[in-house]
Amino acid sequence: MVGEFEYLILSAAAHLGDDAYGAAIREVIEKTGGRTCSLGALYTTLDRLESKGLVKTWMSAPTQQRGGRAKRMVRVTGEGVCAAREFYQTVIRISSGTAWGESRRGCVTGDPA
Amino acid sequence: MNGQTKGWRFIEAAAGMLAPQDREVVLGDLAEMDKGTWRGLGDVLSLAARRQFALWRSWRPWAASLGLALPASLFLMGWSVAASGAAASLLAGPPQARLIWLSLSKVFLVMSWAWMAGFVVGAVSRGALWASVLACGGPCVHCLSLWPGHGLSCLRLLIFVLPGVWGLWRGRRELTLGTGMAIFLASTGALAFLISGKGGSIYGCSLLWPGWYLAATARRRQE
Repeated sequence: MVGEFEYLILSAAAHLGDDAYGAAIREVIEKTGGRTCSLGALYTTLDRLESKGLVKTWMSAPTQQRGGRAKRMVRVTGEGVCAAREFYQTVIRISSGTAWGESRRGCVTGDPA
Repeated sequence: MNGQTKGWRFIEAAAGMLAPQDREVVLGDLAEMDKGTWRGLGDVLSLAARRQFALWRSWRPWAASLGLALPASLFLMGWSVAASGAAASLLAGPPQARLIWLSLSKVFLVMSWAWMAGFVVGAVSRGALWASVLACGGPCVHCLSLWPGHGLSCLRLLIFVLPGVWGLWRGRRELTLGTGMAIFLASTGALAFLISGKGGSIYGCSLLWPGWYLAATARRRQE
């Protein structure tokens, strides 16, 4: 099963679709996930995901916006979709019955007692 | 991020530690995102550190730096002093064919061994060459500073440093040699230890591996 950060990258790449590349994935993780994401962590995790066959990456044509440099484009493979779905379903299953897993209770901020 | 700022030049300099493809992608991302100098520098350094960490999880950089560059520098320093001493003795007296042959063969063995060691270091550990350079250069600088003018000199070091650097450059580019060249280097490498009297020692035997590595990975001619 994929790890938490791997899942975030898979989800961000799937969300971005054809526009998924390093900087865009980082932007989604930081804005939506509310956490910082270093390019070192991002690219080494992408390498790991690619070696597992969960994503496919390739170099795009250079763009003016990036000073004539290429992007590392990312596409989630079928295996990547399955792995992300498995992680998501596991989180949902294991969270059921917990205070934070029941949507009707909302967010518990204080002492549950 | 403005490509002309001082901070950006720092980031570009730091990105020199990355492989060309990583460098292009990361600098492109940073130019597009404009997150500031410190954040950009942190991104570049974090990727470089993670790449190095991944490299050092393999046996290759360990074998190249501690298994070859460090012990080879000690052997080659002693052997280059002996070889250059033999060559210098030719100038002292009337030339004798046996002495000329002996000194030339010693110089040749030092140079071929250094080339072979450099080639193997370059081929085995392309991403962590800095460690091998430190492992080889450290003892050389230490010995030069410890015994200035006593046997070892910068000129004598060049006998093995220049062929070593040449071999390193070729090893990075080609990774393997042809069978004939590999067996020739493995044989001359073993001969160097036999002549120097270290062939039977653990130290001598432990330094035979570069030759056998080249022979084992040699390119076979296509039938």
